[in-house]
Amino acid sequence: MLGLVLAVAIISFTLLHIAPGDAAVVIAGESGSGDPELLAEIRQLYGLDDPFVTQLGSHLGRVATGDFGQSYRFNESVVSLISERIWPTVLLGITAIFFAVVVGIAVGVYTARRPESWASHLATILALVGFSIPVFFLGIELIILFASVLDWLPAGRMRDLRFEGNFIQRWIDIGEHLILPAFTLAVLYLAQYSRQTRASMLETLQSDFVRTARSKGLSERTVVYKHALRNAVIPVITLAGLQLGTILSGALIVETVFDWPGLGRLAFESVLARDAPVLLALLMLSSVLVILANLATDVVYRLIDPRIRVGGAST
Amino acid sequence: MRISVMRLLALLACLGLLAAACGGSDSDSAGDDAEASADAEVEEAMDDEEPADEPEPEPEEEEEEASEPEPADEDEQAVDTTLDEEELEEIESDDAEAGAVDSGPIAGGSLLIGSTQVPRHLNGTVQSGLATAVPGTQLNASPLLFDENFNPQPYLAESWEVAEDGLSVTLNLVQGAVFHDGEAITSEDVKFSIETAQAGHPFKTMFAPVTDVETPDDHTVIINLSQPHPAILLAMSPGLLPIIPEHIFNDGTPVAEHPRNTEDFVGSGPFRLVEYEAGSVIRMERFEDFFIPERPYLDEIIIQISPDPASIVLGLEGGDIDMSTTLGSAANIIRVRDNDDLILTAEGHEAIGPVNWLEFNLEDEVLSDVRVRQAIAYAVDRDFLSDVIDQGTTFPVTTGIVPASPFHNADAEAYAADQDRARELLAEAGYADGELSLAIDYIPPGQQATAEYIVQALQDVGINAELNVSPDFPSWAGRVAGGEHQLTVNQVWNWGDPVIGVHRTYLSSNRVGAIWTNNTGYANDEVDALLDAAGQEVDRDARIALYADAQAIIAEDAPIHFLSTSPFWMALNPRVQNPPIGIWGSMSPMLDVWLAE
Amino acid sequence: MTGLFIGNNDGGNSDGDGGGGGDETAAGAPLGREALRLFMRNRAAVAGVIILVGVIFMTYIGPSLYDQDPSRIIARPLQGPGTEDVPSFGTDYLGRDVFAGVVNGGDTTLRVALVATLMIVVIGVSIGAIAGFYGGRIDTALMRFTEIFQVMPALLFALVIVTLFEPSTMVIAISIGIVLWPSLARLTRAEFLRLRNLEFVKAAQAIGASDARIMFRVMLPNALPPLIVATTLVMGTAILFEAALAFLGLGDPNNISWGYLIGQNRGSVLGGWWTVTFPGLAIFFTVLSFSLIGDGLQDAFNPKLRGR
Repeated sequence: MLGLVLAVAIISFTLLHIAPGDAAVVIAGESGSGDPELLAEIRQLYGLDDPFVTQLGSHLGRVATGDFGQSYRFNESVVSLISERIWPTVLLGITAIFFAVVVGIAVGVYTARRPESWASHLATILALVGFSIPVFFLGIELIILFASVLDWLPAGRMRDLRFEGNFIQRWIDIGEHLILPAFTLAVLYLAQYSRQTRASMLETLQSDFVRTARSKGLSERTVVYKHALRNAVIPVITLAGLQLGTILSGALIVETVFDWPGLGRLAFESVLARDAPVLLALLMLSSVLVILANLATDVVYRLIDPRIRVGGAST
Repeated sequence: MRISVMRLLALLACLGLLAAACGGSDSDSAGDDAEASADAEVEEAMDDEEPADEPEPEPEEEEEEASEPEPADEDEQAVDTTLDEEELEEIESDDAEAGAVDSGPIAGGSLLIGSTQVPRHLNGTVQSGLATAVPGTQLNASPLLFDENFNPQPYLAESWEVAEDGLSVTLNLVQGAVFHDGEAITSEDVKFSIETAQAGHPFKTMFAPVTDVETPDDHTVIINLSQPHPAILLAMSPGLLPIIPEHIFNDGTPVAEHPRNTEDFVGSGPFRLVEYEAGSVIRMERFEDFFIPERPYLDEIIIQISPDPASIVLGLEGGDIDMSTTLGSAANIIRVRDNDDLILTAEGHEAIGPVNWLEFNLEDEVLSDVRVRQAIAYAVDRDFLSDVIDQGTTFPVTTGIVPASPFHNADAEAYAADQDRARELLAEAGYADGELSLAIDYIPPGQQATAEYIVQALQDVGINAELNVSPDFPSWAGRVAGGEHQLTVNQVWNWGDPVIGVHRTYLSSNRVGAIWTNNTGYANDEVDALLDAAGQEVDRDARIALYADAQAIIAEDAPIHFLSTSPFWMALNPRVQNPPIGIWGSMSPMLDVWLAE
Repeated sequence: MTGLFIGNNDGGNSDGDGGGGGDETAAGAPLGREALRLFMRNRAAVAGVIILVGVIFMTYIGPSLYDQDPSRIIARPLQGPGTEDVPSFGTDYLGRDVFAGVVNGGDTTLRVALVATLMIVVIGVSIGAIAGFYGGRIDTALMRFTEIFQVMPALLFALVIVTLFEPSTMVIAISIGIVLWPSLARLTRAEFLRLRNLEFVKAAQAIGASDARIMFRVMLPNALPPLIVATTLVMGTAILFEAALAFLGLGDPNNISWGYLIGQNRGSVLGGWWTVTFPGLAIFFTVLSFSLIGDGLQDAFNPKLRGR
């Protein structure tokens, strides 16, 4: 597992290193153009003239001690930059996934129980739509509708900077800003969870142990909610746990569209600005998150059902 | 146990849906109310806004991001008098109205500025650009301010004197001025700031002739020059020479990398930094011990950074944002213009003077032929670009010095659109229809519209043109600085005096491989001599003549086809009084800005 | 969007439990015919096919019926649909015909998705097959390798690749291929692990068939149903990735695609909803068609689970 993180670090560093373009020019550009002397100074300061292996070695060495260096773009350490931006992403990601899990399971159970009702058909279609719609397209259309035309909700950002109020009022303010981005991000997950729940429910309801339970005269409610649902929920929780690990990628577009001050937007802007130290840190952070999410899911999974071991998902 | 968990989940789901539904209707009515009241206010308070007719272009936005800054300029005087006047009237009427109602400025309040510009840090002695200058000029004071006629006004320097021979400048600093940490601002700090800028600011020409700075006492600064330097006073503007505390920065750490450029910021200006989230929020509070009494009026200025101009426009419309100069596309500018609740003005920022142009790499074999360059110039119709593509948000220019500048030469060859002439010249140069292939670079993404039009214009005269895409600014800058391109759309700022913003493009000695230097490879001894002379000439008329000749020669040689200038379109909430519409616009301290209501 | 790589994978695996149910011996043609019959009875799937045929028709026949160069400036910018003398979908931020863009943009979008999918299938199936067939250390090594790509945030990784090189059609396709292959590799591996111990594979080994022959001639055909389903869904995902990259500004301006149209007009969206809405709908319907077809195929291959 450490090996995995190391591999990610090496690959991303190499990738950023072999790419055309000179980091010194980028840095010089950020400070407002620059001349050859400045370039030379910068190269020296950041060790850009050293051989590749030396640079890689010193990068890994520093990373091992928790030092991710200075952002090229901001005159600030990568660690403090990321620690500023991580909470908005966590808030957005957890809200979206929680919403998606709850609603997804509810919808999935309903459609599995009454597969032929019109509501089920509608839900099935909506799930497909959620699955197929480009996230940014959904986001833009929601902004046009709710922020521009109807003017019900803020179009972006996380809080009103001039808002004054007590703790609770501030959170309500944040909550208002959170609705559109969290919903947009949740749509994709929601589609997956409801489909997954429905599939597992159907499968479970046809399985032997449910038939046995029914034949023992247990009420349909007990069968559905006690036995079937428990089995059906497991894969959804697994999925949600794993996806929490990939939240950075999922949030990238949503944060960009909604101007949400989190890691996703930071990642995108860092790519465009060629801010290599920030990118390297984000790629590593994201990989670590995925790995941790896998481990955590594994643990939770076993707690829920000790008989089953996660196969494909464990890393 | 588990059953209850599941029930809870289901319950939560239902509650969630319910809440969402209720929330929806609540906010619905709330929204309506808000809207209604907003409308009412508008009707009451304002019938007067409506802004200008011209909007502005978008290249600026990106470009700035990139680093030099750039937006727009102002050529209203020259190009579009009507508009200006209208705008002026508007703004004036606004002020007048507010004044009538409130009988004078009100102290207090919080001004929220929306910007797409992300600063690297806030120390303008070593960093150019709008991103740093807008907050930087609030946080640090400079020796001089400038009025709308480019005349110096006292600021940290209560008086100043340029020696007869033009070889020294003496500044007399105000008494009692202090930094945000309470330390006195002395001549040593000014000396340190000048030396820091001389060594580290990207505009090398600003202080290049400075040989040394003397500090006979705490409040006197004598700047000695190796040659007369007509731009020396302008170089002491707020955006170009912020005075920084020597006792903090003179500790051996390179100033450009100094942590105090953003952390525990100690400045000399009217506002002090209270919150800084890199790339997101800059919050500044009134500095109580500022040396000008009763200024600033505002309690607080917040700069909210959003990479997407659309969210700024929506913020302006919702009343969350009070002011912005980074509106993005022509569509956004027009939307603001057409909004009765907002004011749009092209006034202000005259000193910046961004010029959009198409430049040639003269070291490219094909483009080394002046006939090819002239043919391209004839093929690209700048009027169409400004009027149609930019929808009137930019104004055509014919030389590299904006029309608002006294040094502009209106008689230089303009290359008015003429496709036949373009074809003739191509034929003369030996290229039949379809024989010539060219790739066009541009600053992504803001100048893509211009570049796409140019591709089409060149195809129309039989050149196989295509775009060469750079995914981001650094890639573009690397290509152009390294001379890997053929043609590129570019935007370069005049920066008030040609010595600062114009010479750098043409001087053959300035071919140094960095962006926004001589990137064309242009070398003309005559032009070099003219510019050198103009750079030392203190007599204004003589300077004008020298620049006129230089512009005429450059036009003949056609290393660059000049396209347009983009005003800094500023969107304002009508409650903002005395908006920053001086020559440096929002890149100057907002001492007199106040909020009505 | 990027959550998909795990989502697909897991979905695939859980289907895989029942997957191929009933065809534990070499199946082939009869399964195909039965699947086709089931597929054609699935109204949603047929709708998917119809949409896809429509998209293909529009993309490859459309430009000859609607002869308008999408890169020509033909009117003032941002004229809405319904404006006089303006094409039915309006003009974009430069004054180009949005409808012409939609008609002509599909080619690049589909091409990128096809190249990326091809790459995903070739890499994913090869690695998955080898890992699943040989097992042991080879399996471990290949799966470790796969994991490296799987833990990288997919969209960010693709974004980095495109930015670092250049936003040309080919680089975009390759970058999508690079980040999306692991899910298919895992699925293939799971299938091969399952098949490896079955009688007919053992029989083939007994008669001395080469490893390559067993993998690709004996086992692969039996692993096809879930792979086909996954591949169909990957097409949709690849289109979404292309669109996302283009939206972020990384499209190839010399090859107009739907995503590129959206990315281009994003800055003017407040001045003209039509500039992004029509290309967005084109993307949506195309991806939807692949989702519907994928679903239909899944049901057809797994009759037991019909109705999901």
